[in-house]
Amino acid sequence: MIGAAQRAEYPALRIFFKTIAARAYPRVMAANRQKTWLFFDMAFPVVGALAMVLVYEGLHAPRQYLGFVVMGGAMLAFWQNVLWSMAAQFSWDRGNGTLELYVISPTTFEGVLLGMALGSMFTVTLRAAVILVLGSLLFGVTYTAGGTLPAIGVFLLTLSALYCLGMLLASLFLFYGREAWHLSNAMQEPVNFLSGLYFPVHALGAYVGGAASLVPMTLGLDAMRQLLLPGTPVFIPAGIETLLVAIQVPVFAVLAGVSLRYMESRARRDGKLVTRWE
Amino acid sequence: MGIVMPRQLIGFAAAVRLGWAVSSNWTRPILFVTYAVLRPISVALILAVMYSVITHNAAAARPYLAFLIIGTAFWSFIQEGVSEFATGILEDRGRYHILKYTYMAPLGFPLFLVGRATSKLASAAASVVIVLVVGTFALQLSISPLRIDYPLLIAACVLAFISVIAFAITLSMVLLAGKDTHGYGEIMAQFLYLFSGAIFPIAVLPGPIAWLAALSPLPYWLELCRRSILHGQVYQMFPSLSDGEVLLRLVIATAGTVVLGYVIYRWTDRRARGLGYIDMEANW
Repeated sequence: MIGAAQRAEYPALRIFFKTIAARAYPRVMAANRQKTWLFFDMAFPVVGALAMVLVYEGLHAPRQYLGFVVMGGAMLAFWQNVLWSMAAQFSWDRGNGTLELYVISPTTFEGVLLGMALGSMFTVTLRAAVILVLGSLLFGVTYTAGGTLPAIGVFLLTLSALYCLGMLLASLFLFYGREAWHLSNAMQEPVNFLSGLYFPVHALGAYVGGAASLVPMTLGLDAMRQLLLPGTPVFIPAGIETLLVAIQVPVFAVLAGVSLRYMESRARRDGKLVTRWE
Repeated sequence: MGIVMPRQLIGFAAAVRLGWAVSSNWTRPILFVTYAVLRPISVALILAVMYSVITHNAAAARPYLAFLIIGTAFWSFIQEGVSEFATGILEDRGRYHILKYTYMAPLGFPLFLVGRATSKLASAAASVVIVLVVGTFALQLSISPLRIDYPLLIAACVLAFISVIAFAITLSMVLLAGKDTHGYGEIMAQFLYLFSGAIFPIAVLPGPIAWLAALSPLPYWLELCRRSILHGQVYQMFPSLSDGEVLLRLVIATAGTVVLGYVIYRWTDRRARGLGYIDMEANW
């Protein structure tokens, strides 16, 4: 038996990739098992976007602003996913006893989080696409065809940076119990405001917009709007915004790794990995 | 009767205290208030920026800014009263497993629910005040506490709270039928957002939907809040109606909501008992 156990040992890299696949699998499969949540995930951003479209209608705004709202509504699906299914996830996992299983298994938190991120990206991208298509048809939004391919590139970069930020937040949320729920709630609307989800980031001015650029969605969304919606007021040229988002990817990834190590060791010391009902 | 009333009052007060404790005992009060006001302030700022981008802060458009800010401020009552209340009841059942005990208690389940909802409305009051203060100082709305028509504001809010509580209780009883309905209170609050005239006049909605929205008490409540706070300096959804006529419509719509809510509550309550929803394992 000891021999068999030794033979079953895999290289760390293989375990890492198997962890990613294993954690991504339920994200993709389970998300579609609960049909009502499909509706929920799509209805929430669509209804929110619809409300903002009607505000613009009430203000007699030019039609291009409806495009800002539709694209913002699609990106909102990702930010919600990062907040609730990445940042707060370890808090839920601790509550249902899964977190301690992650810790005693031979894998790493990074593998688990990357799996979550990849699985989420796949499912949320499908939903965001539905929101984008539905919203564009419903409100008659048109896009610049020539900007589509560069915009897809910016979108993928933005997603990478956003989910790396989600990994960083997950490590910070490791200590929260019930507070995680309220913290996620509290981070929702302020980030919607700062990232210019429903209006051009340019309107926030240099200082607020600059500070808001720490959230990758701010720069990524603005760059995509510049590429796809003609007449978007320029905050920073799209090329520089793309470069900044590309820099954010490794920065957030490294910070997430460092933070995870530190928080894990603190959580072990303080007994927080197994604490429930707080 | 003389003995029953105080008992009911004590029970009601206990339900309010329990609701407050469940909502707030996870953190220090100052942190709780900060989290509670971040959301409405951010929404108000989003709308203020949208407004300024389109109107360039033109003086002629100021009444519309006042319309947006007061609507957003008072919306906290719906957010807390409907969304957070429904989540709280589902948490009581699925997460803390206490709903069956409150159902069996001698207090009476409806009174417990009213108490829980009241605590949510009370916690929303702080964010209403703070958003109005932010609107007054940061966005320079001419709101003065000395010029508010308090009798009108209080009458409108009392009627609105009755309908919000009736709606929220009915909704949470309906949601008990589902195993994974957590989050649907939020969706319902979002739908109400569209029908309430909180951030745009209901006349902007397509005809039949605008007609449906006019049946709800919420547009009349928000209209009266705006009129009582800013009188003639705010955009009006019903300019042809006097304050008294809007109040009358609010009374009728509230009565309709309460009657409809009661009928649905009785039906869902019987169904919940029959099918075991009160203590159903919801895989929280």
